[in-house]
Amino acid sequence: MGDVATRILTVEDDERIRTAVKLALEDEGWNVAEADTGEVALESFQREPTDVVLIDIMLPGIDGFEVCRSIRRISDVPIVMVTARADTHDVVAGLEAGADDYLTKPFAPKELSARIRALLRRTRASEPGHAHLRFGDLELIPDEGVVKRDDEEVHLTKTEFRLLTELASSPGRVFSREVLLERVWGYGYFGDGRLVDVHIRRLRTKIEADPANPKHVVTVRGLGYKLQA
Amino acid sequence: MTAPQTTAGNAASNDSRLRLVPRLGLRARVILAFSVGALLLALVLSGLVLGVTRTNLLNQREANAVVRVSTNANIVRSSIGPDADTINLLASLQTPEGSRPIVFQRALAADDGSCGSGWSAQDPEFSCETLPPEIRETVLAGAPAKMRFVDRNDTKSLVVGTPVADIDGAYFEIVSLNSLDDTLSSISFTLFGASIATVLAGAAFGWYSARQILRPLNEVGGAARSLAGGDLDARIRGLVDPDLEPIITSFNGMADALEARIEKDAQFASDVSHELRSPLMTLQASIEVLDNNRADLSERAQSALDLLAEDLDRFRELVEDLLEISRFDAGVMHLDLDEVLLSQFVGHAVHSAGFDTPVVIDEDVVIDDEFGDIVTALDKRRVARVVANLLTNASKYADGPTAVHVTADDENVRIMVDDAGEGVPEEDRTRIFERFNRAGQASRRGTGTGVGLGLALVDEHVRLHDGRVVVGDAPGGGARFTVELPRVELDHDQDGEP
Repeated sequence: MGDVATRILTVEDDERIRTAVKLALEDEGWNVAEADTGEVALESFQREPTDVVLIDIMLPGIDGFEVCRSIRRISDVPIVMVTARADTHDVVAGLEAGADDYLTKPFAPKELSARIRALLRRTRASEPGHAHLRFGDLELIPDEGVVKRDDEEVHLTKTEFRLLTELASSPGRVFSREVLLERVWGYGYFGDGRLVDVHIRRLRTKIEADPANPKHVVTVRGLGYKLQA
Repeated sequence: MTAPQTTAGNAASNDSRLRLVPRLGLRARVILAFSVGALLLALVLSGLVLGVTRTNLLNQREANAVVRVSTNANIVRSSIGPDADTINLLASLQTPEGSRPIVFQRALAADDGSCGSGWSAQDPEFSCETLPPEIRETVLAGAPAKMRFVDRNDTKSLVVGTPVADIDGAYFEIVSLNSLDDTLSSISFTLFGASIATVLAGAAFGWYSARQILRPLNEVGGAARSLAGGDLDARIRGLVDPDLEPIITSFNGMADALEARIEKDAQFASDVSHELRSPLMTLQASIEVLDNNRADLSERAQSALDLLAEDLDRFRELVEDLLEISRFDAGVMHLDLDEVLLSQFVGHAVHSAGFDTPVVIDEDVVIDDEFGDIVTALDKRRVARVVANLLTNASKYADGPTAVHVTADDENVRIMVDDAGEGVPEEDRTRIFERFNRAGQASRRGTGTGVGLGLALVDEHVRLHDGRVVVGDAPGGGARFTVELPRVELDHDQDGEP
């Protein structure tokens, strides 16, 4: 990755897992900070600049969702949730609390590294090109990472911004969930479509005048989503 | 295996013996009983009504006739004379329709009482000859009398006679009872109609009662069916009846116990698997660290690490399968349906499972023209698992998969995985989908590790889709596993998910 200073905060109450994951991530060349509770994690996050946060949902004290929401209130740092299993509401709840991606236990550390790399890539890289895009009351300035609605800046997380930029790269074109999963999250065909759906939902609450009746980010029956003016 | 078969045989012969006497269902028996009861009741009541009415009507008729006869006899006595026109006198009397007066005057008679002279009748058809001789004699002997008889025309009649002393004669009236019969037959007709209505009402009431009786039984049956179907929450609710309280209580108690038992078992499997995940996580991460630094290890240690890594993978898969299947047992599964292009989807599934088996859309398939593929909705993760498990099964036990066929009609889509093995013997074709079943495994190739839950999970995933999986013979030899899923179309909203 080149950046020596990449810092990853892992929040996990099981010390053995935490240590093993730390060892595996350090092999990737990253700095790993550990926290065994949500309180410690929030304190550590505020003390030192962090690039990615890994949060286990099952924590003593304040739970992973709350840690996620607290971090989200002050930062748009990429967050990866670790859930017990994929087919519960935990995943959607985690995503709605502000997580960018999730993994289920037990995961291979290689999979975690791949997720972290994908998140770092898109938080670092914002390809120049489209200087200024306008869709009705919506204004998008990719180079500056700024989105405005009615000339007022809207605060998006990096994943939401990346998703919007992706849709805006071909206005009116329909993007399937698979394509968005691949371009925004780096997943293949079997990525979890809920990642896209929840992020689209979150995006709509921020950029649509009436999120229940969206004008910009529109669902296309059976195909996917598209952006229109 | 032999014992249950014998029992089944006995049960069958018992059945056929019983069938000599036709067995009616409870509902039919209740309806029959109510109908027969209603019929008997209707018959008894009709008979009584008819009898009482008949007697009353006859008595009334008789009483009327007696009163009238004595009135008319007085008129006759006061008006009659040797010169009077007797026929006209009789015609002028107040007699109702069907009542024929006859008068006898001894003064005019040739001899004593025999028919002939001395008798006058208003209607020549009903004259002295019509009168039964007994009453003629009784009245002429000086006593009033009445009697019922059947005249020559087979008409039921009543005759009332009274001696008229002043003229030394007698006055008779013959009253036809035919009109009475008409009345009675119309009453019996009405009663017959009423009886039929009563029987029908009885049958209807029987049907209703049977329904009332059977309703709780149906409810119990329905609850038992749901329970057997895996809905562990099924209970008898909404039946408030003190008479049924014991059966409801014991049924619900049984269901509670069953649910608790099953939940405990499922919870145990789930807990064990969950507990295994944390050490697995640590093991997996640690082995990866070792693998990242394998250059530091001796060759022997590297071999040991590879063995460890492989078996850890297998262990992890088993734990994941156990977790998955315990979720099925807990009944907490739900489908996450996505619309897919089927052959494209299966292609991805084959590829991501690490195979390069060709995927073929069968010809003459109903293809959605818009996409040039079969469009259906399914749970991608689950069906991908199904495909992967079938491919893995084929490669472990049957010399590898040869082809994956995709086909569809209006109702269903089918994914067929063919292999190059020796096929699955008839007797193993159901057992092969059972958990940890190693049917025919000894004769099949492989490292002896077994997929354990692989095909059982295939079955569970497919059934969750309301589909089914069967194994048969592939056209080119070997086995063909056919997964049939209902073809599903999704509804979409503009602001929803695609």
